[in-house]
Amino acid sequence: MAYLSTTNFAEDKDFIDKWLYTIRTGQMDLSWMKSATEKISPEEANPRRGLTYRDLNVGTYGYTDIPEKVRNNRSYAPRGAEIPDGVPDAQPWVSRKSELWAFNTESYYEEAVSRQWNATTDIPWDRLDGVELPEVTGKALSQLMTFLTEVEMIATDTPAMWLPRLNPDFIEVRSFIAAQAMDEARHAEVFRKRALTTGWGLMQASPINEMALKHLRDADSFSEMSVALHLVAEGNVLTLFRFSEYLSPTDVDKKIFRLVMQDEARHVGYGMQHFKYVLEHFPEKREVLHAHLDEAENISFAGAAATELTEAFIILAGGGLKKENIEQGIKITTQFNLKQMQEHFERLDKCGMPERRERSKLYLMYEMGRAAAENAGIKLN
Amino acid sequence: MAFYADKDYTIDETVLQAAQKVMEGNLGLHWYNAKTERLAGRPSDPKRGLTYQDLNVGSYGYTDIPEDVRTSQSMVSRGSEKVGKLPDMGYVVNRKSDVWSDNVAELYEEVKARRWVPATDIPWTELHTKPLAPELEMACAQLYTFLQECQIVSMDFPSKWVAVINQDFLEQKSWMCAQMLDASRLFEVFRKRALFGGAGLGRASATAEQGLKEWLWADRYPQGSVSINLSLAGFLLTLYRQVGAFAPTNVDRKIMRYAMQDAARQTAYGLGQLRYFLKHRPLEANGMESYLDLTEHALLGLIGSPELLEPMIIICGGGLEKAQVDKGRAATAKFIKLAVREYMERIAAAGLAGHGKRSKIPAMVDRISAAA
Amino acid sequence: MSISFPSTEYFEALKAQMAANEEKFRRLGFIDTTFGVSVGVNGKARNFVLEFEVFDLKNVSEVPAIDLKKVDFQIQGDSQVWREMIENIRRNGEADSAHDINTLAHFGERLKIVYDDPDGHDKLYRFMESIQEFFDLSSKLEVSFN
Repeated sequence: MAYLSTTNFAEDKDFIDKWLYTIRTGQMDLSWMKSATEKISPEEANPRRGLTYRDLNVGTYGYTDIPEKVRNNRSYAPRGAEIPDGVPDAQPWVSRKSELWAFNTESYYEEAVSRQWNATTDIPWDRLDGVELPEVTGKALSQLMTFLTEVEMIATDTPAMWLPRLNPDFIEVRSFIAAQAMDEARHAEVFRKRALTTGWGLMQASPINEMALKHLRDADSFSEMSVALHLVAEGNVLTLFRFSEYLSPTDVDKKIFRLVMQDEARHVGYGMQHFKYVLEHFPEKREVLHAHLDEAENISFAGAAATELTEAFIILAGGGLKKENIEQGIKITTQFNLKQMQEHFERLDKCGMPERRERSKLYLMYEMGRAAAENAGIKLN
Repeated sequence: MAFYADKDYTIDETVLQAAQKVMEGNLGLHWYNAKTERLAGRPSDPKRGLTYQDLNVGSYGYTDIPEDVRTSQSMVSRGSEKVGKLPDMGYVVNRKSDVWSDNVAELYEEVKARRWVPATDIPWTELHTKPLAPELEMACAQLYTFLQECQIVSMDFPSKWVAVINQDFLEQKSWMCAQMLDASRLFEVFRKRALFGGAGLGRASATAEQGLKEWLWADRYPQGSVSINLSLAGFLLTLYRQVGAFAPTNVDRKIMRYAMQDAARQTAYGLGQLRYFLKHRPLEANGMESYLDLTEHALLGLIGSPELLEPMIIICGGGLEKAQVDKGRAATAKFIKLAVREYMERIAAAGLAGHGKRSKIPAMVDRISAAA
Repeated sequence: MSISFPSTEYFEALKAQMAANEEKFRRLGFIDTTFGVSVGVNGKARNFVLEFEVFDLKNVSEVPAIDLKKVDFQIQGDSQVWREMIENIRRNGEADSAHDINTLAHFGERLKIVYDDPDGHDKLYRFMESIQEFFDLSSKLEVSFN
């Protein structure tokens, strides 16, 4: 299934002769100097920020004026370049802006590049020397880390699968995905490293959550993929990171969760902005996205049975396995679960899908759960 | 291609009961005594931090990943305990020798440590305070247009393959993520340079793109890797060094110095991967030779592309005056020879020692270089 | 006090400067390479092996000859060329575009890069920014040439 170039350059006499002629005589065609491309004079808007994609958002080079349907470029030519005859078709699956665009994508990318951190050197691993967590806490932490390292790479694999399918004109989105891939590899790395420093190693895989990963991976369109991954899954994980930071048994863990939540918030930001954009510019997709959310929520229900995660969380939240620890842990875990669902629907609301509440069985569960929690004296802010 | 769960869990009593049981305080703790290796990893060199190499231990390590990964098709982390029914993620690359390189963990750690930021690490305003002569600026813009095309393809290759490579090869997949970001960063710096100089973008190259697509669309990973990570990256490494040596501005020199670092790392992986592949599957050598016989010509499509060749002559010579063009052609001829010589060296070092004699490229390039 | 080039004292002085500028080298990232520097003096060569690890120059040694199998690569050049480079660095605070390692070594006409394994050769480029910054530290030294 390999592609073969339309020419074998080693056998193309005209090509080789022209090349020889140029090197031998210095006679050059120079037709590229007359490229029918725009000349622009961009400036750095803020020298402290440096030269950004936003500074280059001018004319045919900019992203604002990318049309809804990219009709003139299916090659590997960068946006705004002159496209000669004979360029190959890059076979993009997505050439429609509303299928992938998000306000602020270029800024998310620039931020990602400037805020890369290093799990090897930016975590004070030496501060774990001499730290001995109680067995129950150490194991619970290892189980949480095992879950996290297991799920993080889905957010590499899944958007990366789509990257080469996106028309190269959408370079800012492609670049954002490339940055996300690196972010997630770093997350998988830092959680794996932390699990392997606890003294317990990795713990048990999570079959129910693996099913969720499969669903995230196998979406029919980029928008469906993004809403399930960036908005739903990463939104949930962002809440999990915030709670985990709060529950962290050491300052090393706190540092880990503070750093990962920065990256995650960026991904959720893109997800929200894209969701808004697609609902506004491609309204026919609304029902398709509802249907995809139906299945995403079905799998969220299944997630309730992923007790290896819930139990680990309860132990960390409560501080142990005694009755009073478990009670405290359940209280905090309940708040966490409700918070996840609350923020999920808040995001959908803000992005332009307030009717989701009426359709969603998950929202019903949230309301029931909230009522039960309030009856039990558990407040949700 | 959408995936649907095996049942409607919103009405599944067992799920609700399992959750309820736990939230009532009845913890099953089935995970508590997981059958996994205990480990308290620590940095071997505190100055370096905690690396993947430090955790290359027992069932968690990468050295002992078997050649054929048959027992894992899910995203379960290597070394953790597999339980229950796990889905098949559809990995089609499950042989270590298809993707591995002995230096991959080291390269992954290096790429993270040696990151840079195009927006702020390049002294952009110098381009406006000391602008180039128009023909030189146009040549730069054309060169950087060409380089953006190369980086689009460099970004596509790892992203095309990463999701179908077995998750047990975590370090190698992580390296591929770093490659994607490297490519997007290089694209970014080339685009910014081309546009900030004021000449706008130039013309895309049909010959280069045809060759790039042939390389990108190789039907097996090892073949694609030798094309993208060795042939393309190696060629770009030489090109960055050339432009760095003849850089018309300090901005270009700085860009090329960062770019050559990234390209050299990519080349190191490409060489390492081919070496590993051939060492562990020596019977594949013939197949790889045949692949190179078929696709090596694309290197000519890149180097001989007028959209690269002509701006290179102008940049190396410093302009369009006859003496400048003469100087530029001589330097470009040397560059072509150097690029091909180093390509052949790497192929030979990887284990195809006889390839140089078999390949048509060196003779062709000698002829072209001699013309100067 | 003036330091003679070539000598282990010169490289040790650069090593000290590198340590004093640790933050800069840390920001550039890991540098893990061992390379040789060969300086041709009156038909003979003086050879040094520099071993870099993590962010530092770990070890400097003068050797009778450089075993290419034990180093990643070797930078070879006549003392005139090295002197020209160092003087340029001292004049400008850093090597200018005609005198940086990449330019001088690119076609092998002034400085030459020799190596046993192309993989080792490529380490020069993987760590180019750090290696150049290392030599640029000569701007902080008083150097004399024999």
